[in-house]
Amino acid sequence: MNEASQYIYWVSHDIALGYMIAWYLWLISLAEGTHIVAHMSWLYYRTEDYRPLEKVGSFQPFIILALVPLFLVIDLGHPERFYTMFYHWHWTSPVAYGVYIITLCMITYALHAYYLFRPELLHRAGQPGGLQGLYRLLTFGATETGTLREIRDRQDGRERFWAGASLFFSFMGLIYLGILLSSFKGRVMWSSSVMVFIFFAFGACSGSAFLILLTHLKNALVHTGAKALAEQRRYLTEFGILLKYALVAQAGVFFIYFVLLQYTGIGGRLAGQVFFSGPRAFQFWFFQVAIGLVLPFVLMLYRSMRENVLVSCLAAIATLIGTLFGCVNIFIGGQMLPMTHFNWEVLEPEPGKMAFGVALMVLMFVVFLATYKVLPYENIES
Amino acid sequence: MSNKGEALDRRGFLRKLGVHVTAAGAGVLLLQSGRESQAATAVKKYGMVIDTNRCIGCHGCTIACKSENNVPDGFFRSWVKIGEKGKYPNVSTHFLPRLCNNCEDAPCLNLCPTGATYRTQEDGVVHVNREVCVGCRICVVACPYGARFPNPITHTADKCDFCYHRITQGLQPACVDACTGRARIFGDLNDPDSEVSRYMQSHSTQRLRADLDTRPKVHYVHADENLMGPDYHRLLARRNS
Repeated sequence: MNEASQYIYWVSHDIALGYMIAWYLWLISLAEGTHIVAHMSWLYYRTEDYRPLEKVGSFQPFIILALVPLFLVIDLGHPERFYTMFYHWHWTSPVAYGVYIITLCMITYALHAYYLFRPELLHRAGQPGGLQGLYRLLTFGATETGTLREIRDRQDGRERFWAGASLFFSFMGLIYLGILLSSFKGRVMWSSSVMVFIFFAFGACSGSAFLILLTHLKNALVHTGAKALAEQRRYLTEFGILLKYALVAQAGVFFIYFVLLQYTGIGGRLAGQVFFSGPRAFQFWFFQVAIGLVLPFVLMLYRSMRENVLVSCLAAIATLIGTLFGCVNIFIGGQMLPMTHFNWEVLEPEPGKMAFGVALMVLMFVVFLATYKVLPYENIES
Repeated sequence: MSNKGEALDRRGFLRKLGVHVTAAGAGVLLLQSGRESQAATAVKKYGMVIDTNRCIGCHGCTIACKSENNVPDGFFRSWVKIGEKGKYPNVSTHFLPRLCNNCEDAPCLNLCPTGATYRTQEDGVVHVNREVCVGCRICVVACPYGARFPNPITHTADKCDFCYHRITQGLQPACVDACTGRARIFGDLNDPDSEVSRYMQSHSTQRLRADLDTRPKVHYVHADENLMGPDYHRLLARRNS
């Protein structure tokens, strides 16, 4: 309406999907990104010393994906009907595909992790100890002869097959996140071809940051041998370079996204304003850009800083915060653009739901540490 | 380490992959074309024309709809958007009665993960199956018209279905019956002799957000352009100022 006009009566529509689904999107991109970064790095390194990190990069995403459906289920109007998504399948809906993609991701991560752990499990099953029965159970009572290296070589084909399959589904998972949002053709902020690349950038950044943070924390809290520790620190320093370039890629993707929005009509320009000076401006400039992009980039700029454990952890935490707010800004901001009237749609802050997300992250880490106590993450020299 | 993948016949693998991808693509295309033709060949196509010149903004439709469909407080299946234009003494008031457009290519239906949102093939009306809906609210976000809401009583998606329980009994939707100015005309758009078809033939009509190609089945006569969509100009001007 022009300035000489006014609205007398209208109906406001609340933001229907809130922080829980934003957390859901972020955690999926984190899990997929962690697995992709860990496995792509294996392709680069291809050494036995790298196996402990690959185990972390396979099993921790499995734990995340096993817990992440909680965010979706809790947010449903009928949580008890969640399972109907598996058999009331609607082929035009990205979410219908996503349910299967995420499930297949979880299964392939578990199988990939199983084959990574299997040689050490077989070795431990033959050794005396308190958890011998568990190891026998996990290896289905199988026994194999030869050294650990020979066992690894014998199962190499199966291990690589599941690694490839899980990598395929990881990429599918990130593509799913992008297509999910871009399929809302009425939502000008989401209906963009760049959305897939945004989630790839989020995955690369949060994945490398999460591997750095998780492994450093694990090394601080659980005893790791001096040789393995030195090797892992060397890899994590290299991951710092990966993180640095992933941050540059994320900045580039967002630059392209904003340029495209600028030329998508008045709706696109307004979508840009949501970030720059609108209701998500503080979250965008402070959390997403300053903390999530600039700070970790500066911290990862020089080798001496990448080698410092504390600095690396700080950069990783900052990156995780940045990508989380990136997801929230896009997801909540996209719904703030009005569909039928002239005011921003409003979402009241949901500290309880944000706290639930943080609590679940802590739970994931605790579960990881618990598995670290039980499962043979480190290489065993036989 | 040995690489067992090298032993495979790559040419054969690629050939098989190509056949499977082509078959999957052809299957998707067939399903898609089937879906289009189903919507186009429905026996009836229920729709509505709203002549905004006749609307007096009494909200009778809103009240009738709430009463008929037991719509919870704070939510609406049908409502009237009202705005004023101009400066005294040249002022005009404009009304835009709103409801679900029961689109022919409904984004809410396409994005529903369980198929709880469905279209009855015999008349093209879009419904929500409350027994199947999981309450994910994807459809609420997907609707470009803000016509859906999460019902706090049933915990499922809710929206106007042209009072399906009435129209299948040969009655008019409650909002049409209650309209004081007879601004709403409902009927079968496929029947050239129906009142709604004849009204559309004799009037120039508009549809909301035609740019999205959702093919809404609610048509407007003389709707004010500024009321028909979101007012991004006002928001942008406010931010720039």
